[in-house]
Amino acid sequence: MTTRRKTAKKTKAAKKTTKKATKKSTKKSTKSTKKAAKSRPSARRSPRAALAVATSSKESSPRRIAALQEVPLAVCENDENLNSLLNILRDRNEPIKVRLAALQSIQAASFSVIAFESCRPDYLAALREVVDDPDPELRQRVLGILARENDSYVQQRLLDGLQNPAKALVPPEKALQLLSYDVHAESYSVARDIVDNPPNPDAKREALRILAADPNSAPVFEKLLTDKDESREVRQISAAALQATKPRRFQERARQMLLDKDEYDDIQATALTALTQFGDKEVGQDQELMKQVDKLGKGKSAKVKKTARRFLMRYKA
Amino acid sequence: MDVEIQINNSPQPVARFVNWAPSACRIRITNPAGSQGQATHNIRLRSVSAASAGAVNFRQGSTGAFATSLTLPVPINGNWVKFQVAGRFGRPSVNLDDVKIEARKGNALVGSVTCTVRIRKNANTLTPGERDRFISAFAQLNNQGAGRFADFRDMHTNVSSPQAHGAPGFLPWHRAYLLDLERELQAIDPSVALHYWRFDQASPNIFTRDFLGVSDNVGAVEFSPNNPLQFWVTDGVQGITRRPFFNTSSAPPGLLTEAQTIALGANYAAFRVMEGNPHGSAHVSFGGSISSIGTAARDPLFFLLHCNVDRLWAKWQKQNGRFDPTTAASFSGSGSNPIGHNLPDTMWPWNGITGGSRPPTAPGGTLAPSATVSAPGLQPRVRQMLDYPGTVAAANRLGFDYDDVPFV
Repeated sequence: MTTRRKTAKKTKAAKKTTKKATKKSTKKSTKSTKKAAKSRPSARRSPRAALAVATSSKESSPRRIAALQEVPLAVCENDENLNSLLNILRDRNEPIKVRLAALQSIQAASFSVIAFESCRPDYLAALREVVDDPDPELRQRVLGILARENDSYVQQRLLDGLQNPAKALVPPEKALQLLSYDVHAESYSVARDIVDNPPNPDAKREALRILAADPNSAPVFEKLLTDKDESREVRQISAAALQATKPRRFQERARQMLLDKDEYDDIQATALTALTQFGDKEVGQDQELMKQVDKLGKGKSAKVKKTARRFLMRYKA
Repeated sequence: MDVEIQINNSPQPVARFVNWAPSACRIRITNPAGSQGQATHNIRLRSVSAASAGAVNFRQGSTGAFATSLTLPVPINGNWVKFQVAGRFGRPSVNLDDVKIEARKGNALVGSVTCTVRIRKNANTLTPGERDRFISAFAQLNNQGAGRFADFRDMHTNVSSPQAHGAPGFLPWHRAYLLDLERELQAIDPSVALHYWRFDQASPNIFTRDFLGVSDNVGAVEFSPNNPLQFWVTDGVQGITRRPFFNTSSAPPGLLTEAQTIALGANYAAFRVMEGNPHGSAHVSFGGSISSIGTAARDPLFFLLHCNVDRLWAKWQKQNGRFDPTTAASFSGSGSNPIGHNLPDTMWPWNGITGGSRPPTAPGGTLAPSATVSAPGLQPRVRQMLDYPGTVAAANRLGFDYDDVPFV
């Protein structure tokens, strides 16, 4: 077995465990969400009273969650408020749904930038403390927040996990997605490796999204776009990537796909949508293509018919 | 005999858009044939449209009640006669030019003009045609990452955030931001208005493959092959990342409802806490780019979310009479707020000011102009965002309205 295969197998196993745990955690939080929804925030309770309920371990989880939803703007009123919520977030003994609600409440407060500014360093430090938390849902959310802050520590941990799945904090497709918030040279090279040897279809898709803006990857996208054995999703991404980086080349390929009687409906609809939205005026002067689109507009596939009509509206006008 | 009717006092088709707020219009006789010595003719104006389409009302002068028809004495010498048109509340347009204003002398049709009652609507209620035009305009503005949308994305970042958040200018800044974006969308397709995601209600029609997409288990948003948003690119990366923490066939839990938000208080200082809940809470009811300030504008849903925040402010203003900046309760702080958050302050980036207490760059240039109104001008000030319907002065009107916030 090659190292890559071993890696893929390990990743698959890790992903399975993570998915199972995520499902469990999501199922639990959906239940609590329903309970919380029943008690919509009253907007009458003072932030102080809400915080008292939120931080009390004697209260039930649904009551604490409902209270946490009321406190966003009170988070930054003083250090005590912020610290009490950060303590809930960090405390592995707290119920996970309460920890997630605490995180969500601080996140909502972070939208009040000026007020939140003094809280930010403590907040980010606390998030870094929980990136290794055993709960996959919390880990994923925290990694997402830090990745969106272009946090170099998290970026490195994500890259490490892609190169060595034993160190992976999240499945490879999620790691790639999080790295896409701040794409740089190292992400391109990792993404190319994943496209060449994908651990799973989702990871390949996320790697392709990262490469979509890279003009050097245009030949890869052209190959994937014309390969009928590729998934619809991969071909759809490839169409968009090629259209963005090499629009002329895409138009030629789109033309071929539309003239091909054996091409899939979805791909023809994607090609038509791209040409309708972003195509050159010259497209409308191609009589053979216009005739073919006319035919597609009268065909059996509803989605192709719809896009063909829009195409004809634009180019016949 | 022939008459000419101008909407918003302009002969341009691009000016033939009205809201609930009154639009200045005029009529004149261009061909007096058959007048036989009469100095004026009584011309009757009325709105003609299908039951599901838009409709307008009329009034003579700038005060008084509107009516479904109006009879005006129009001189044969070609002089203009002024009147006002307003969209009939509850009857916004569904398609471009779906309202015809007919002018009749007796039973004879002597002129007509088409117009559109362009209104921001609950995105969950759009017809397929409205939805498709809306996302198509968005996709073209983005133009696969190479379009003007990049400026809007660059206006809303961590660096620029203090200009727009955490202080009283939060609501005015975002009102200007949405207006600028809406005008750019209208430059692509004038029939389009910016629509809102009413986050305290179930909105299953928004989270579909044909509209703003469906998130998979990783948070990658999937679109149907007919949806041009499949070509969405921001920051050089294709696609949209969004992971809802709620069932998208219902509303996110824990958000203040519309009634609760409006009841936060009759003073702006009390109402403004809505920046946390429901605004911030709506953002973080998802994972993905929309849940952080620096990346939120990468997701088109962000603009629908903020449009609802703006609608809530509009509704609160209407309910409490808070359109006048000189009324203390309409805003908070008097010169003591951070720069960009006081009533007389100009707002970044439209003022082009960089460095110092402003961000180092000012993407996007000045605010897009409108063919229907002149306010707020190219470099809006905070105070200009308050009287959006022109209730204090007609010239303040910004040219948008919401489907559930009447003018009167």
